[in-house]
Amino acid sequence: MAHSPRIERLIEALRCLPGVGPKSAQRMTYQLLERDRAGGRRLAEALAEAMDKVGNCSRCRTLSEDAICGLCASSSRDAALLCVVESPADVAALEQSTGYRGQYFVLMGHLSPLDGIGPRELGLDQLESRLADGEVRELILATNPTVEGEATAHYIAEMARTRGVRATRIAHGVPLGGELEYIDGGTLSHAFAGRQEL
Amino acid sequence: MRISTQLQPAYLLHQRPYRDTSLLLEIFTPEQGRFGLVARGARAPKSRNRGLLQLFQPLLLSWTGRAELGTLTGVEPNGTAPRLLGATLYSGFYLNELIMRLLQRLDPHPELFMAYAEALQGLQYATERPLRLFEKRLLETLGYGLMLDHEADTGEPVIAEGFYRYELETGPVAVTQGSVQRPGQGLCLQGSSLLSLAADQLEDAQSLSDCKRLMRAALGLYLGDRKLKTREVFAAMAAR
Repeated sequence: MAHSPRIERLIEALRCLPGVGPKSAQRMTYQLLERDRAGGRRLAEALAEAMDKVGNCSRCRTLSEDAICGLCASSSRDAALLCVVESPADVAALEQSTGYRGQYFVLMGHLSPLDGIGPRELGLDQLESRLADGEVRELILATNPTVEGEATAHYIAEMARTRGVRATRIAHGVPLGGELEYIDGGTLSHAFAGRQEL
Repeated sequence: MRISTQLQPAYLLHQRPYRDTSLLLEIFTPEQGRFGLVARGARAPKSRNRGLLQLFQPLLLSWTGRAELGTLTGVEPNGTAPRLLGATLYSGFYLNELIMRLLQRLDPHPELFMAYAEALQGLQYATERPLRLFEKRLLETLGYGLMLDHEADTGEPVIAEGFYRYELETGPVAVTQGSVQRPGQGLCLQGSSLLSLAADQLEDAQSLSDCKRLMRAALGLYLGDRKLKTREVFAAMAAR
């Protein structure tokens, strides 16, 4: 074997990171061991702590180390607006670019019956009880524009309808700065069907 | 030896993330049947195929490699996707799960591919009928086609006014109408429903509901103990 067992183990462990193959894992390992032991220790500490202490927000299900995440606890967010997204990364994307001032609900996935992911796995009972509270006036469905995302949005919209909550879906279509010629047919036909009055 | 296949008609049955930016696809084609393909980089931000690689979209696919897992090399649309909205989307998932569960990999059935395409088109206009017709074709494809127009025991033709108890492995057996109402008699259907299914009609509520029971029982025989997940999701939705 080329490496001693502990080094080998670290290389193997680093490969769980996205985009890290055997070669980059080896480079990272040597970097930490040869040049940055302090950084390695910080990494180990931060990792261990995050793995133990980060859970899910009990209100919106996003990743959070407190029982209720910062966004849900914040008094400056409008509780009458609730935006449903698939992942915590979607929350970050919306926060950075939209100026949205309402709250979120994170599904941590989408309906995928063939993988056994149904309404229960997405915490939709929790969402429903939140709609039942009557505080939410508009539910914004920002699931991905895939077939699975559409199916999820439809299911939740039905739920909102029975609770008398207005449900809206984010628009999808031609990307800004895009050229119609190069856009795939599905996107274009969707954009065409969803055209708006000027 | 690597074999490359060019622009075959295909549907995507299922996809799941693979590695960083790739997808593992489950593909259904007329010539190869059901099999797996890796779509490298399909989830990358700049992937051009993302909008196209969707369930229910008729595709023309090119790939290289043999047997069970090839590599996707090209995607083109083969017509526009049927507009499945809301609840009919779930019916589409149901069709996909049936194929995934009952059709072996690399077992080609061009006629089933046709039936699938027709069912997807049909789901734009009707919710139940396309499903029943596809289920019928699927059972025929698997070699378990249902006897519908003749009695199993006597060989007499089924008559529309008659009542029948359906024996799953053999076929319909005539019963008197009085005994139909009694519970515990098994699967009892009207003759007209059997004939309607045999003729691919299924235009009235009675035959649709009879045939739904019939198909559920017949498919249940081959699905075994593992329930259909799409059906569980349906049930969860209906229970709301």
